[in-house]
Amino acid sequence: MNNLLLQGYAVTLRPIQSSDLEQLRQWRNSEPVRQQMLSQQTISVEQQNAWFSKVQRDPAQHHWVIEYKSRPIGSANIKALYASKLDEATTIEPGLYIGDPAYRQNIIAFAPTLLINDYCFNTLAASQLKAVVKASNQAAMNYNIKLGYKVHSNHDVCELILTKPAYEQATAMLKQLLSRN
Amino acid sequence: MTNQEKLVKAFSEGLGIEPGMVKDELTYNTIPQWDSTAHMMLIGALEREFDVMLDTDEIIDMSSVAKAKSILTQHQISF
Repeated sequence: MNNLLLQGYAVTLRPIQSSDLEQLRQWRNSEPVRQQMLSQQTISVEQQNAWFSKVQRDPAQHHWVIEYKSRPIGSANIKALYASKLDEATTIEPGLYIGDPAYRQNIIAFAPTLLINDYCFNTLAASQLKAVVKASNQAAMNYNIKLGYKVHSNHDVCELILTKPAYEQATAMLKQLLSRN
Repeated sequence: MTNQEKLVKAFSEGLGIEPGMVKDELTYNTIPQWDSTAHMMLIGALEREFDVMLDTDEIIDMSSVAKAKSILTQHQISF
């Protein structure tokens, strides 16, 4: 079970609790969030509960609620690839969405990603991060490229890879801006 | 130069857009020019133009021209 709290860049990532599930489901099923996902299907209450019970016991993934000023605004996660535990994975796939409409068009979308990328590269053993994005999702492509990702394979679904040096180089200024306080 | 003119100059230079595009309703990520890189340039331009230091919450809140005015007003800059 994930008890890990991450804080920095003005946001807090706290482990998902059962009381968060309905809010997360509503966000996940909303049109703007669903459009970004590889699967466009809506999630039922039963599916959401089954998913939560599975991921709580899975050492290969962590899921968090993103909070800004103590208010939930979205969700972030990391998943081990080619390994059964996150702390043994050299490749990790991060993901996130901003559910709160007030923060969708906002630079804060970078803050949770900086936090989890730092965690993956500096605390876990990740040597690279992988993002899988629909080629038609130009906003997500641009977002990942700003973080230093390089396109690895370019089809209908693109694979992008981020190494630590590329990440550090691409985000130095952004990190300064989001950690001034 | 009036504060409104300074604001238009900072947005125009920071985002690399025509001054005429700087309207209150202009919002982050709604035009290709206003992305995260340009947002950093914009913050620098506003800080230089108005001689202020913005904190992280203000940088996050500055998601439109109207919001920028509201935040700068809290730094005793009137429009």
